[in-house]
Formats: sequence, structure tokens, C-alpha cells
Amino acid sequence: MIPAAFEYHAPKSLEEALRLLNRHGSEAKLLAGGHSLLPLMKLRLAAPRCVIDLGRIHALRYIREENGRIAIGALTTHTEVLESPLLRTKCPLLPQTAWEIGDVQVRNRGTIGGSLAHADPAADYPAAVLALDAEIVAASADGTRTLRAAEFFVDMLTTALLPGEILTEVRVPVLPPGTGTAYRKLHQPASGFAIVGAAARLTLGSGGKVERVAVGLTGVAPKAYRAAAVEKALTGKKASEKLLAEAARHAVPQDVELLSDLHASAEYRKAMAVVFTRRALEDALARAQSKKR
Amino acid sequence: MAEFSIIGKPLPMTDARAKVTGLGKYADDLVVPGMLFGKILHSPYPHAHIRRIDTTRAEALPGVKAVATGRDAPHPYGILPIGHDERVFQTDKVRYIGDNVAAVAATSLEVAEQALALIDVEYEPLPAVFDPLAAMQVENPEHWIHSNKPRNIEKEYHHVFGDVEQGFAEAEIIHAERFYAGEVTHAAMEPHATLAVWEPDGRLTVYSSTQVPYYLQRTLSNVCEMPMSHIRVVKPLVGGGFGGKSEVIPLEVAAAVLAKKARRPVKITYTREEVFYAHRGRPISYMDLKVGITREGRITAVEARMVQDGGAYCGYGPVTVLYSGNLLHAIYDIPAARYDGYRVLTNKPACGAMRGHGTVNMRFAFECLLDVLAEKAGLDPVELRRRNLLRAPCITANQLRVTSYGLPECIERVVERSGWTAKRGKLPFGRGIGMACSHYVSGAANPIIRSNMPHTTVHIKVDRDAGITVYTGASEIGQGSDTIQVQIVAEVLGVRPERIRLVAADTELTPVDLGSYSSRVTFMAGNACLEAARNLRAQLFDAVAKKLDCGPEVLEARDERIFPRHDRERALSFEEAVAAALEAQGALVAKGTYAPPEEARGGTFKGAGVGPSPAYSYSAQTAEVSVDPETGQLTVHRIVVAHDCGRALNPLTVEGQVEGSVYMGFGQAVQEEMIWRNGRLMNPSLLEYRIPTTLETPLIESIIVESHDPEGPFGAKEAGEGSLAATLPAIASAVYDAVGVRIHSLPITPEKILAALQEKRRQAASQTRNSGTHPGGGS
Ligand SMILES: Cc1cc2nc3c(=O)[nH]c(=O)nc-3n(C[C@H](O)[C@H](O)[C@H](O)COP(=O)(O)OP(=O)(O)OC[C@H]3O[C@@H](n4cnc5c(N)ncnc54)[C@H](O)[C@@H]3O)c2cc1C
Repeated sequence: MIPAAFEYHAPKSLEEALRLLNRHGSEAKLLAGGHSLLPLMKLRLAAPRCVIDLGRIHALRYIREENGRIAIGALTTHTEVLESPLLRTKCPLLPQTAWEIGDVQVRNRGTIGGSLAHADPAADYPAAVLALDAEIVAASADGTRTLRAAEFFVDMLTTALLPGEILTEVRVPVLPPGTGTAYRKLHQPASGFAIVGAAARLTLGSGGKVERVAVGLTGVAPKAYRAAAVEKALTGKKASEKLLAEAARHAVPQDVELLSDLHASAEYRKAMAVVFTRRALEDALARAQSKKR
Repeated sequence: MAEFSIIGKPLPMTDARAKVTGLGKYADDLVVPGMLFGKILHSPYPHAHIRRIDTTRAEALPGVKAVATGRDAPHPYGILPIGHDERVFQTDKVRYIGDNVAAVAATSLEVAEQALALIDVEYEPLPAVFDPLAAMQVENPEHWIHSNKPRNIEKEYHHVFGDVEQGFAEAEIIHAERFYAGEVTHAAMEPHATLAVWEPDGRLTVYSSTQVPYYLQRTLSNVCEMPMSHIRVVKPLVGGGFGGKSEVIPLEVAAAVLAKKARRPVKITYTREEVFYAHRGRPISYMDLKVGITREGRITAVEARMVQDGGAYCGYGPVTVLYSGNLLHAIYDIPAARYDGYRVLTNKPACGAMRGHGTVNMRFAFECLLDVLAEKAGLDPVELRRRNLLRAPCITANQLRVTSYGLPECIERVVERSGWTAKRGKLPFGRGIGMACSHYVSGAANPIIRSNMPHTTVHIKVDRDAGITVYTGASEIGQGSDTIQVQIVAEVLGVRPERIRLVAADTELTPVDLGSYSSRVTFMAGNACLEAARNLRAQLFDAVAKKLDCGPEVLEARDERIFPRHDRERALSFEEAVAAALEAQGALVAKGTYAPPEEARGGTFKGAGVGPSPAYSYSAQTAEVSVDPETGQLTVHRIVVAHDCGRALNPLTVEGQVEGSVYMGFGQAVQEEMIWRNGRLMNPSLLEYRIPTTLETPLIESIIVESHDPEGPFGAKEAGEGSLAATLPAIASAVYDAVGVRIHSLPITPEKILAALQEKRRQAASQTRNSGTHPGGGS
């Protein structure tokens, strides 16, 4: 299918992109990997008058360590995240998550900035950045501001980004020793999107006690969320298979509005959120234990 | 020396190079000077009166060359002799979301799209009905989808063969259950496309992605009010049909009507969404099935009721519902059977023929029920089948004639290859193996439109270049029928296949063939090729006999030479033989035809026309699966399939067809389903409809069983459909073996498995301790 006609710009710098965005306002759409935007345009669910292609802004494509955190440029592809030696050693949850996204083509084109800005309720990264307490940097003509992951996701396909802002960077922590992470996911068979995805990060303290734990869940609700009740049920307790299973039962809080669609009913999602939370925690624990040894 | 030199060889398909290199031309690849682009306006309502259509604004748009509505093509049509309820554009009311209202032809696709938005249609919505069981209850005639079809029943059939009451009285174990199958569609890779060219002499040439060029020619003649001889239909390469192109599809008529009106060539290609709404796939089916067996496992009686959700138009509907009933037979020995079949209209796109036409859902139900009965009788499911085999040649209770029957061998071969005996009931919890059987016709013994004419005719011409041209009406749609016809002619004439050119499916050049449906082409066009080639060979032999001074009956044609059987050195090359024959009579021509024999045409009861075939193919399969009991996720690891195709004329294409059948059966079994909400399709894209990718497709091991049918060309039968139906119940049986739940509703989704497991746990908990061990071997 053919998208509606649009004007096309390919700025080479962030400043130029911001200027264009200011000029065209709500009639403009930013284009990164295009793997979410272009299907929408072809189906005419989106018909922007103007497309600003960020693809030439090479300065937004990097993964580097800075001040004890790892900074990832918005235009970094899923494959680059997946293959980064830096992330693999210091914050493996992100590569673990990227590995589960779509297929090779999607991973080669899709970007971390595009995925987060799009905030698809079935996308994978949101679970991981929540579990990592990541920071998300947004730039506008007025300067930059830093948002916490927890405040970034507002609703289905809606983020805290303001009109005129471009997501430029994601910052994740260097994980402390004794930490294990895992991302476990139930795939929608054709696209690979998450029916349920659980990202877990677990740090063991002395005596095998859970010192710190975070669980992010995607696919379950209109927006990804932290499973706070699961975390509470684990923190400070001695880790065991039984404990994890008990805690995972709290994966879906009462007030969560469950998604229900072609791929899975609300009840099924709820049941799977529990199963995959437990599986992610088990994997994270096993990794934490092997690092302790 | 081997019996054959070309037959039985795994030759690559004759059109493979064109397809693989991208040089082959499909309908949408065709471009002609002055060509316009057509677009169709579809109804946004599932059921509504049309009060007014105003096309003036669209006509005024620059670039628009024609706008057509129902007034331009008022004649109704349909694929069967009955139920002509379709018009290319509706005038009085629309009956499904996507129904066709008008069309435009413009100088570009963009202009055509803009023009559609300028057509003003005033609708008055009517109550719509989407479920066949509810549709059958609609009492108000004002709300019936077609006013002449009371309570929306398109057609019903009631058959009784043998003494059913007596049969159930004799049964010692009886089981009855309701089964459900969701709706699936063909999802051929090539979207439908038609290029209609208005010729300067007032004739029409139509290039279309069709399985039935001659039916298209006939329908266009009626709708466009032109003699058939003024309409030429040409079938270019077709990228898969599976039944979805086996009746006249609205875009084909729309393109012709627009071309005639604009006096210009017009091309229409459906978007993928339009392909989904054009549909004609396998209907939602509610099946109530009851089977009785003796303690020894012999079937004594069968009772089946089928309700099919046919969508808004008749199409092939009556045939679909008849196949479901009549092909309960001809696979096992069934002494008595009752069948009640209902084809019901709803406000959704029409269903139609889809690979395994009419048999697949009922076969699923039947085989699943056998699995239950085997357990009740304490028999291995394989053993239960062994005890109900036919003894061919034979005539079934509903008068189907079975002449060759490779099912027993199919069963034994898959049992052996799959390791069945060591696995069934013995694998660890979560892993299981299942089996099932299926069958299909090798062409329908009765033509769609009853007549005594041959079902197919083939011409062969040989001229001074010693090239052989075969003119066949048969429609290659990817199944390899062109290749098979070339092989047959090459074998008989003793030449290399490269010597043969095949001209196919062009109504102006090739004699009538009924089309590519009901797996008829290899059998029928194959037989016609065989006869034509033998006739041509006789002419060559006569000429060679004169040259060699011997009798023509001692001659043999092989390896590009013609020679006396017992004196191979005295040979004429094929060229020399042709030259000798041409000397006497100029260009050589020969003809062959095929019509199924009288004895194969079945009974005389109402509905007896559907099901009879000159020969039946058979299939047996095992499926090995694992089920994650926590999530219900089902993985199918391996399918072993044995298919009895008579003689395998080309083992490569047979395997391709068998694998393709299993693949489609697998898709329907575990993940494909059209999901409707108030008449709107929720998943009209390949991404959301989810045909399996190679990643999900299990390992398929195919075994060819050759039962050599007496009527088939060189003993061949069909290979393209018969192996589809067994895949679904084999997987269901394997799920039961793995985790002990029976899912009798298609597709077998993780959610259904999980819900059944939870239900089972609840029941086990509410009972006492004596829950026993699980048939899959316990956890
Ligand atoms: C077949 C298929 C399968 C997929 N499977 C998965 C999967 O399994 N898991 C998964 O998580 N995702 C999946 N995706 C989505 C994929 O990861 C997308 O690439 C991603 O969601 C969007 O990234 P993008 O770079 O392509 O963004 P684009 O499509 O270019 O943009 C998406 C949206 O974000 C906006 N945007 C982009 N960059 C920025 C920026 N820097 N600042 C502000 N706004 C911006 C755009 O304006 C647009 O609205 C799949 C996609 C496809 C087509």
C-alpha cells in the first residue's frame, strides 16, 4: 500500500533536526528505523505532512561508558545493543532483551530511541529500561532534560516526551557484582512482539539474601510497568525457588488494566505474566548465584 | 532396462527458472500501452440497503476514464449452475463489509484512489447476522440476506445410507461430540490481479490470476453481453491458488467491465487486505459427530451434522457441504451413515473451495473421534484404523467406487518410520505422538456444469523444427501440472523434455480444460496428454515402419530415437522420424481427451454428484509434539506422512505437494484463524493472520506410497490435497498423548490447551486421590 504524500527532510545534525521539528510542529513525524512508523503510514493510520529522517545524524549512534553509567545514543540499532561487548559485560539485560526483538531485519533497522518513543505496549525494551531504572534524555530547542524510565511511559503509545522534543540518549547503570539479569518472553508467533515480556534484575547480598530486585513487565497492560509487589515480596529474603514462585504470583496488581487482543485474552496474559515473571527471576537468580561463586 | 525414462524422475519444474530468476510474468507484472489502473469501492457496512449512488464527482476528477456501477453489469452469476446470486457491483443492497459497490479506472493508482473517495453512496443499514447458528433463526424475511433463502439457509442435504439405527443398535461403544473449526483462508503469495485489454476490433483479452480460465470466459461473456468467442482469457504464471482463484473473483469482472466502458486496458490488483476480503476460504464449521463401534473396534454406524458459515453468497457452498458428507466415506469401511448438512448465509465474505475442499474439518472431527473410541475400546489408535480398512476394489455405502487403496501401506510406513510403537503413551509428560488418516479425490467425476463432453482435451503439433508443441487448457498454479504434462508427452514420444513447448490455459489457443480444482489436472489432463501423445506416436511409427520395412507394432520410442524393439541398432533419430512423417502429410497434429468412466460417476440421489472420482488418494500421518503445561504453548516437532499418489510421475513435485499440504494443515491446526468482529476482519494481513513461517514449520518427512491406479495416467493419482486433512487430527491426538487433554476446536491455541489443563486439574482435585496416571506416562 502507498502512504499518503509527504515532504521529506534528512538533517545531518541534531540542531538541524530540532529546527525542522520546531518549524513543522505537529505536522511532522520523526523517522528513525521506520519499523513502526512506516507500517502505520502505509496503512494510512499515520499520514504526517512532513517526515524528518534522523538516520543521517551519526552523532546519535553510540554506546559508551560515562560517569559510571552506560550511555546509548537514540539511533543505536537493536543489533548494535545486542552485540555490544560493553553492555554484555556491564549491563547484560539490555542485550538479553534486544536478542528477543522481532527478527534479524527488525533488529538491524529498529532503534532503541524509536522503540522507546513509540511506546508500543508489546515492545520489549520498556520492560528492561524500567527494571534498570534507566534515564532517558530528551532534547529540544530549549535544551535537554533527563527523565526517569518510571515517569517516561504514560499510556499506550504515549510517553512523557513533549512536542518539539527528540529522544537523544538512554542511560543505564553498570550493574554491581552479584547481580543477575534475564529477559523472558512469550512471543506473538508472526511478528515476534511480546504477548508478555518480563525483565528481571536481581542482586544477591550476604547469606544468599535478595539485596535488590527489579522486575519490569511489558505486553500485559497498555504501558509497561514495574511489578512492585513482586519486588517487595522478595527484597531482604533468602532466595529460593519457592520464594520466587510465591512472589511471582503478584506480577499483576489489581488496578492494572489488562490488554486483550487477537493474540491473547486478558486472562491468559495475566496467567502468563506470573509464569514469565517467575522464569525471568529464576534465570536472574541462577546468574547471580553463578557470579557469586 | 528401466520401464520408463522420464516418468518417475525427480525433474525440476519447467517454470522453475522463470520463477526463481524473477523473469517470469505474473498478472500484475503485465503492462501494456495506455493501461489504466482500476480500484474498487467496497461497502463499509455488513448489511445495508443502497439508497443512492452518485458518481458525478468521481467522473469529473481529471485522470478518471471510467466509473462503473451495477447498472453497467446487471447480470447475476455464480460458479455453480445453481445459486447465481452475485453481481459484480451491488445495486440494491450490500451483504458484507467489503462487498463491491463501484469501480473506477484512472491514469494512475493515486487518482483512482482519490476518485473512490468522491463516489457518494447512501446506505440504510440493516440488522446483520454473523453466526450461522443465529442466522438460521432469523424469522423476519426483511432481514434475510437473500430474500429467496428463508432463514438464511443456502442449501441443506439429508442423506441416509445403510441402516443407521440398526448400526447403532449393534454398536457396543458409542461416542458423540461437537467439534468446531474456525475460518481459514488460502493466503496465496500472489495477490489476485487482472489485466483486461479492450482490443481495437471490439474483443476483450483478459489476463488473470485464475485457476479456471474457461469459467471466467463463460462468466465474462454473460456479464459483458459478448459472445464467448470474442473473449480471450489468458492465465499467466499464478503464484498459488489453493482454491482462492477457482471461481470468478469480482476484480476479474470489474476489470473487464471497466475496460469495456473506457475502451482502454485496465489492470486491477488487490491489496493484501482485499485478498483477505475476497476470501472464498474454508468456512467456520460446527460439527456434531456420533460414531458407534463393536468391542473389536469395527465401525457400525456414523451420524454427522454439519453447519457451515458460508458468508453472504453461494459460490461453491453446496459443493463444500456435500464433500463434508460424501467423503465421510471411501476411507474406512462404513456400513451405515446419516448426514445432515447445512450451508448457511451470514454477513461476511463468501467462503468457497480451499485445499481439501469440504473434507478437512469433518475429517478432523472424525479422526479425533476415532482417537477417543480407540481409547474406550482399549485399542491402539493405529489398530482401530487397521480394523476398519476397505478392501479395494469396492463400492462404498454412498456409491463411491474405490479402485486403488494404498492406505494400509501408508499406515504401516508411518508407524514404522515414526517409531510409533515405542512412543505412543510412553513419552514423558509434555511430549506426545498422534496419528490420523485422510483421503481426497483425483478430480471430480462429474463436471460442475453437467454434460457428457470430455473434461479436458489436449492437442499436439509437430512441424519441421521437430519441436513438439502441446496445447493444453490445464492451469498451472504452482502445483507442477505443466511439468507433469511435459513428462508424459516426453515419455510416450521418447524425447527429452526440452524438445517440448507447452502452450497452456489460453482460451484462444488451447482446447477446454475445466480448471485446476479438485486435484484433477494430473489425472485428467495427464490422461488426455497420454492419449494425444500415443496418437501422435502412431503417426510417427507408421512413417518409420515404412522406412525400416517393419510393422509399427514392433517399434519403440526412447532416448530421441525410434527403433524396432528387438533390433535397437536400426534406429531413426526423432528428427528423421518427423521428417519421414512430414513428407507424407505435412505438420503432424494429434488430439487426446479424457472423461471419467460412467462407473465412476456415483449414485443418483440428490447431491450424489459431489464426491465421486475416478480414483482416491490416501494419506497417513504421525505428529510428534511437545506442550508446555504451564503456558499451553504447543510445538510440533516432526510430521511423518505417507501419501498414496498412485504412481509418482515426478517424486520431487509429489513431495513438494505433500509437504505443502502438511504445512497448510499445520497452519490451520495450530495458528491460523480469521477473526471477525461484527463482520469486520480483525487480521487482514499476513502479519496478523499468521500463516506459519519456516521457523515454526515442523520437520516433514514424506514417504511416497505407489498403489498404481488402473485408471490414472501411468497409474497416477492426486498428490496435492489428500495429505492436508490428516495433519490437524494427528496434532490433536499428539496433544492428548502429551498432556492428556483433547482439544476439539480449531485452531488448537495455547489458551485452549491451558484452559483444558486447568479444567482437568480442577476435576482431578474435586475427585478423590484415585486420579490414576496420565496416558502420556505421568509427570
Ligand atoms: C515485523 C516487525 C516485528 C517487530 N517485532 C518487535 C518485537 O518483537 N519487539 C519489539 O520491541 N519491537 C518489535 N518491532 C518494532 C521495532 O523494534 C521497531 O523498530 C521499533 O519499535 C521502533 O523503532 P524504529 O527505530 O523503527 O522507529 P520508527 O518506526 O522510525 O519510529 C517510531 C516512532 O517513534 C518516533 N521516534 C523515532 N525516533 C525518535 C526519537 N529519537 N525521538 C523521538 N521520537 C522518535 C517516530 O516519530 C515514530 O512515531 C517489530 C517491528 C516489525 C515491523
